[in-house]
Order: sequence, then C-alpha cells, then structure tokens
Amino acid sequence: MRPEHWLFTIPLRLRSLFRRAQADHELDDELRDHLEQKTEEYIAQGMTQQKAHRRARLDLEGIEQTKEKCRDARRVNWIQDTVQDLRFGLRMLGKSPGFTAVAVLTLALGIGANTAIFSVIENVMFRPLPFSEADRIVRVYSTQNGVRLGGQSGPSGMDLRDFAQYNQTFESMAVYDTWRKNVNFGDSGGEPEQMGVGLVPREYFQVLDIGPLMGRLFTEDESYTGKHYIAAISAQLWRNRYASDPAILGKKIRINDEPYTIVAVMPDVIPEWMDGKVQIWTPLEFADSSGAMWTEAGRGQRDTSSLGRVKSDISLKQAQADLSTIAAALAASHPVDLGIGVKLESLSDTRSQNLRPMLFLLMGAVSLILLIACVNLANLLLARNSVRERELAMRAALGADRGRLVRQLLEETLLLSLLGGIVGLFFARAGAATLIRMRPTDLPQLSSIILDWRVLLFTLLVSMLTSLFFGLGPAMTASRLNLTDSLKLGARSGAAGSGAQRMRNFLVVVEMAMSLMLLVGAGLLIQSIVRLQRQQLGIRSPEHLLTGHFYLPPVHYPDPAAITRFSDQFADKVRALPGVLDASITTIWPPVYNWSQMFEIPGHPVTHIQDIPSAKCGLTDAHFLQTMGIPLIRGRDFNASDTPTSPPVVLVSQEFVRRYSPHEDAIGTPIHIGPPAFLNIPPGAAISDSSNATIIGIIGDFRNNGLASPPQPQIIALYSQHPLVTYGFRDIVVHAAADPRAMIPEITRQLHSMDANLPFAQTRTIDETVERFTGSQRFTTALLGLFAAIGLALAAVGIYGVVSFLVAQRQRELAVRIAVGASVSSVLWLVLEQGLRMALVGAFIGLLGASAAHKVLGQLLFGISAADPLTFAGAALFLCAVVVIACWVPARRAARVDPMIALRCE
Amino acid sequence: MSKPSDLVQGTLDMLLLKILALEPMNGFAVSQRLKQVSGDVLQVSDGSLYPALHKLEHEGWITAEWKTSEFGRRAKYYSLTRLGRQQLEKEADNWGRLSSAISRVIKLKEA
Repeated sequence: MRPEHWLFTIPLRLRSLFRRAQADHELDDELRDHLEQKTEEYIAQGMTQQKAHRRARLDLEGIEQTKEKCRDARRVNWIQDTVQDLRFGLRMLGKSPGFTAVAVLTLALGIGANTAIFSVIENVMFRPLPFSEADRIVRVYSTQNGVRLGGQSGPSGMDLRDFAQYNQTFESMAVYDTWRKNVNFGDSGGEPEQMGVGLVPREYFQVLDIGPLMGRLFTEDESYTGKHYIAAISAQLWRNRYASDPAILGKKIRINDEPYTIVAVMPDVIPEWMDGKVQIWTPLEFADSSGAMWTEAGRGQRDTSSLGRVKSDISLKQAQADLSTIAAALAASHPVDLGIGVKLESLSDTRSQNLRPMLFLLMGAVSLILLIACVNLANLLLARNSVRERELAMRAALGADRGRLVRQLLEETLLLSLLGGIVGLFFARAGAATLIRMRPTDLPQLSSIILDWRVLLFTLLVSMLTSLFFGLGPAMTASRLNLTDSLKLGARSGAAGSGAQRMRNFLVVVEMAMSLMLLVGAGLLIQSIVRLQRQQLGIRSPEHLLTGHFYLPPVHYPDPAAITRFSDQFADKVRALPGVLDASITTIWPPVYNWSQMFEIPGHPVTHIQDIPSAKCGLTDAHFLQTMGIPLIRGRDFNASDTPTSPPVVLVSQEFVRRYSPHEDAIGTPIHIGPPAFLNIPPGAAISDSSNATIIGIIGDFRNNGLASPPQPQIIALYSQHPLVTYGFRDIVVHAAADPRAMIPEITRQLHSMDANLPFAQTRTIDETVERFTGSQRFTTALLGLFAAIGLALAAVGIYGVVSFLVAQRQRELAVRIAVGASVSSVLWLVLEQGLRMALVGAFIGLLGASAAHKVLGQLLFGISAADPLTFAGAALFLCAVVVIACWVPARRAARVDPMIALRCE
Repeated sequence: MSKPSDLVQGTLDMLLLKILALEPMNGFAVSQRLKQVSGDVLQVSDGSLYPALHKLEHEGWITAEWKTSEFGRRAKYYSLTRLGRQQLEKEADNWGRLSSAISRVIKLKEA
C-alpha cells in the first residue's frame, strides 16, 4: 500500500511545490466562500448583516492564521524550507562581504588544491586508456629468477614468436622497439633531426586497435629487408611538417639517409608515456642491423618492448598462467632461456605504478591543508555566530526547534562551500596548467591533465564534506541557546562560553598537529633530495662535461672500420678546438648505463647459470679516463699501443675487483667477455671475444646503476678492438674549460664538416642528466614544500585569531593585572604561554601522525629514515617559533593595554 | 456538550472522511453535516476544519475540484478517493477496537 500511496501523492506534492501561487489563490477563494456561507446562515438565524459577518470571521479564528495552518498542512516541508533558507543565507552572506570573501578564498584554496591533485591522480590512474577495451591490453616482461629484468625487458623476438604461436589466451601479440634515427623531411636539404622511430610489426596497431586515418597498415612481407622502406607518420607530424598535404601518401621521408615511402597517416592516439614521443613508424625488419633478432642467436636479447591483447573472456591471471607454461617449456628447450620467466602487467598499471607513492603523499598533504583551512573557518564561524545569537534566539522563540536552527546554519555553510568549490575549480585549472608546465621529464604521464566529470564530482563531494566539517561544530554550539539570556539586551555573547572556548582550543590543537605533519614531510623530502644530489658520481665536475649523440647510418658507414675511422677523426677534430680540454667517444657515462655482459675468467669455470659473473660493459676510446676524470688506481690506461690488431685489453673498476678477484691481483688476468661455453649461444648473439682480453688497469668506481644504488662492477674496453659490437650509435663526452654548452655550435660544425647529414643530438651536460634523474623527486619535494608553507601560514593565521580573541576576552583581567603592577614581560608570557601550550600539544599529536605515515614516506626517501628524530625535533621547534611570532602581536597588544581605559569600558 | 477541541486529530480526520464518503461537498457543508448528524455533539471549529481538510487532500485521501453550486457560485468540492476509502475503513476498525476496549474497562464492576 505504501509505494502506491506515494505514487499517488507525489504529483500532489509537486503541485504544491510549483503552483504555490495558484494554490494560495484557491485557498483565498475557498475561505471567502466559506465566510459567505457562514454569514448567510447567521443572517438566516436572525442576525444583522454586520453582526453576522463579524461573527463568521470570529469563528474562523483569524483568517491569516488559518491560511498559514493550511499552508503548513500542504507544505512539502523540507524542500520549501530549504529553498527559503538558501535565499536567506545568500542575503546574509551578501551582508558581510568581508567574511564571505575570506571564507570563500580560504575554501577555494583548500578545495582547489585538492581538486588539482585529484585531477592528476585521475588522469594517471583512473582515466580510461585511449584504446578500445583497453583493460585487455598488457605488457609482457621477462624475468630472471622471478625478478623483472632492467630496461625495457620485453621477451626476445624469437621467444615472443613462440608465445604468439602457442598461446591460447591472446588475440594478438607484438614485439617492437623504438630507436633514435636521423630524419629528414621533404625531398632534400634541411637539417636532419634525431627523432624516435617506432619499429613495429602490423600487429602493434592491431593490439592497440588503431586504424589509419589515411592509407593502410604494413603487410607481412614488408617486414623483409628490401621491402621495408615504408613508413607511417602521425597526424600531428602530418599537420606540422607537411602542412596537412592531402597528397601525402607516396611522398618520401628520409630516415638515416634512406628514402622511405609514406603509406599511412595514423591518428594521434598513442600517449607519450608509453614509449616516448614517437611520430614515425616503420616495419620491424626480420633481419635488422641490431644483430639477427630473429635467429636463434638473438633469442637472448631481451631489450625490446612488447604488447599483447588478451581475448575478451580471459582474465589476466589465466593469460599469465598460459604464458608462464610456455616460458617454462622454452626454458627447458633453449639453454639461453634458462631461469627466464614471463610477467604480464596491464597497460593501465604501467602508467601509474611508479607514481603511486608520490601521488598518495601529495593527496595526503592537500587533505591536511583542507582540514587546516576548515579549522580556521570553523573558528571564524564560531565568532560570527556569536554575533547572530539574537537572531537565532528570536527564531527559537518563534518556534524553530534545534534541528531547524542547525539545518539553517548548515545550509549557509553549504552555500559557502559550494561557492568556494566553484572558485576552487578555477584555481585547480590554473594549478593543473602550472603542474603540466613544471613537470619533470621523467613524468610523461603529466603531459596533459583534463578536468572531466569525475573531477567535478569529486569537487562537489569535497565541498559538501568540507561544509560539514567546519559547519557542524559551530552550528551545534550556536543552537544550544538559553533563550532568556540571549534575548536580553547587552547580554554577554555566548561565544565566550566555556563550551565554545574549549572547541576553539581543540580546533587549534588539531591545526597545529596537521601543520607539523606537513612540516616533517617536507623536511624529510628536502633532506633526501639534497643527499641524492650530493651523491658522488665518481667523475670530475659534471657541469664541465658535455655529452652529445650522433648516429652513423649503415647506408653510408657499412662496416665497423668506417665507423671507427669516423669516430676517431671526429674526436681528434673536437680535441683540437680551443676551449676543449679533452674529448672521448664512448658508449657510457654516469649516472646509469644498462648494458651488462657475462664474462668468464679462464681457469675459473662456472657450471650453473646463477654463478655466471656479469658486469656493466662499456666501449670507449683511449681518452676516456682523462676526459671523465676517473682515477686510475693501479696499472695503466689505454694508450697508442692498443690498436685493433694488438692483444685486446680492458680496464676494470674497483667494485669488479672486490667482487670477482678479491684475493688475487687482477692486473694481468685474462678475461673472456661473452657467455660461457656451456650455454651454447652461437657467436654473433652478443659481444663475444674471439680471444681473451687482458686486464691492464683498475679504475675508480663511478655511478653506473643510478644515483641511489652503489656502483656495479664495470669493464671498459676499446671499441676499436671490438668490431662486432660497434654499431653506428656514438656518444661523445667533451671536457670543456668553461661552459660546455657554448661549445655546441662549434662541435656541430666540426661534425657537419665531416658529414653534413648527421644531426648532433641530445646535447646536455652530465649535470643536466643527473638533474633529470632527480626530476620527479624534486617535483614532489617542491610541491610538498609549497603545501607545508601554505599549511603553516593558515595555521599561523588560525592561532593568531584565537589568541587575539582570547586577549580581547581577558582584557579586563589583564588590565587589572597591569594596574596592580604586573610587568610587561609577565603579561607577554601569559599570552604566549597559552599559544605555546596549544602548539606543543598539537605538535605532539602531529609527531604521532607523522610517524604513522612513515611507510608511504619511506618509499620516497633516500639516505634518511622516515623516522629521523632530528627532523621531527626541528620541525616541532620551527612550529613553536612560528606560533610565538603569530602570538606576538596580540601579546604586545595585551601588554600595552591602558588599565584605566580597559577598566572603564563595559 | 463536548467541545470540538477535545477531538484528537486522528478522530477528526476519520469523521471528515466519513462525511465525505456520504457525498462530495464543500468545507462549509461538511461542518454543517457533522454537526447535524451528531446532534450538535460534534462540532469542528472553522480554524481547525480547513487545515484538516487540506491535510487530508495532501495525503491523497480526498480530492477537490471547483464546481459551480446550485446558487451559481463557485465552490471547492471535496470527495473521497479510493485510497481515502481504504484509510477510512482502517481507521473505523481501529476506532471500533479502541472504543470497545474503553467500554469494557469502564463497565468493570467496582468492588
């Protein structure tokens, strides 16, 4: 019966709501009609017209009251009440513009910051990927003994081919890579640029389910060398470099000085965070210059990327189990796959994985700021409500019950919050734009932040919750009225009541606690970043070392001898430049380098795959040590006697000696770089010397595994002595006397004097490279520092307000004290002590809170523990100092009170 | 004579519903009829009558329409709805139970 009843009455109630004017009119008519009839009856009973009329009116007991009672009976109570309250609330806010402005701005700051950070989180974690059914797209990684390999670590081409053939859970899989290549647009002329080019099979676009805007995808046989000179370009490239030429298909683009025909224009869908900025794709060759990827020899090369699309009714776990089974089978049949497993990760997880600790930390921090802002507003409201006490008492006397008063006050705070939320959205937009501009290079996920409906919903919810937080307390306090006292003229305002005072003190303590937590977080992060950046690189001053990259395309430099010749000549030319102290052609420089090689020390055979020693391997010329400033500890450096025909020699680092040759003298030891014989890897698959090399010197350790981890064992060899692995990639490190960046044009000119078509790319000092590594750390630290400063400022304002109020309350008492001879300093101390007491209690609670958050913080710290007592103590002291400063002004005011004036005024 | 204000709100509602169950009429007529059939015992004050009628309409137990009466004047006529009839039955049942219970207690023999 009930639901039916409701269904029937809802139209009635809606009618009451919307046709109020008409309903009122009808009510008028109805009552008038009644009066007429009553009057007629009285006349029929014998009264005069006048008397009858009057009698009838009296019977009705007041037309207006009756009308009001009828309206009451009809009223859809809470909606109409609410609308009325909101209109009234708006008027009240308009009457005190100062308060409204301060409140709305504070709220906008707090809510806006939260919205900005949430929008980042939303874009990085929740926003759906721009591919269809993107939750089915996964990345495939190789693991060794369960641990993911470093770098791109996709399975090798041969392995992935086996996965693709034998799996039952995937729709399609693709292995691909991204290489930097020299690109020329247009037919001739123009400076070549180094750009990232995706080497992809047609399955790549199938996994991502992207179709071309114009043209067609690659075909199977276009992966064969000779037929692979075709390319697809992105729509952005088409617009920027080809002016959206409608006849683009068939035009040529020169990659590494070879012409490729453009066969497709792809839409701008693939986001930058996946593989960097790639705007050109060419087919992945079946026999490319990277060394026989598609032969058994290449089965051990796990430095490509791979993607797969799982079938629509298969879960990630099932797909993982499927591939793991195949991986186990591969490991059993191919020795190079021994111990190698496979791990799947959904593509959306790869977007956010490394960012999670940072994002959670930032979200926590802005929440704290919002809470602090709420506390300030609550105190502000407490003060304001005390002024409105008469009005509230009047309402209570006219019949409003406590709930109604609370509701009215809450609705006003809701209005404030919604206004604050709207302004906050604008702040958030500006904030997000700034974040995008300031973003560090190792956070490509932040390249665009869109404020979509989820963000708006979040803002709305946060606004409503905020209004509850800061409005409920004051509303409850304000509605607890003693009517007779409140309505009397000149009554002492209820805000002085002990209840309100206790609440105010409690709120300030909470503020202090949260502010302290922010300070501790910021302090820890700042120290961490300082420590990280102070890490010794192991080389000479990094700001004087410039690195640059160039690539010698095989079409012009077909054999290793040509590459070596070019490199040596170029290095000589650069060394001859004025302002250049030294230069070296190399493949490695700090802080991180990922090429590791297995090696064997003849006479110390190993039989188990886990025991095979490996070290980071780098190829340089003879000037490496001098250019980089790496010390030679013992033995000798490379010199002119080491030629391509003389016995091969290598340098090893101290860590190498410590780990692999601690008891014997390493110098003079023969070493064979390459996998041990029992792995049966055919030659050509990796750097594998035909003969043994001899260790001739021990060099100092330098960072080669990132700033945060200790140096790994390092082997350095001459590229002139290792022709097999001498690809066209080259980096040159230049030690300049002054600012090395000033040398860039000269060096470029030297390069172009040898070959005008080679771009000199990625020029940076090693200093800058290191900075990029710490980019995201610095970003987080800067943000957290900003938040801590804002939180502290808000808390200081809060405590200033409360202490000022206290001083005003105690004015008379303080005046008496001064009158009977209290010194200025004792009065100062009296006031300061109140503030300090709240600060200390708050600081203590804040310390507890900060230690509770140490798990999240710990992941972001380097070189300092998340419970560092010095930082905690320092932050607490800093907070107290700020509190003292904030309380200074009211304290001075208290001390300067003229007792005569204070005692006289009532 | 029991004063109309002695009537509990619920009882008043029930009586009004019953009167309107007899035939549709306007507010004035309802109060007249009630007075008439109860032999002047039950009277509703005008100040309580209309709020009560509006509440009944709000609850959906009666419905109103404006009609031209026999005297050529426009008046608001209330009539009982199906829901109202169900409500009336329910309340009449309750009243019956209540009143017989009260009677039983009152008729107890004193010692």
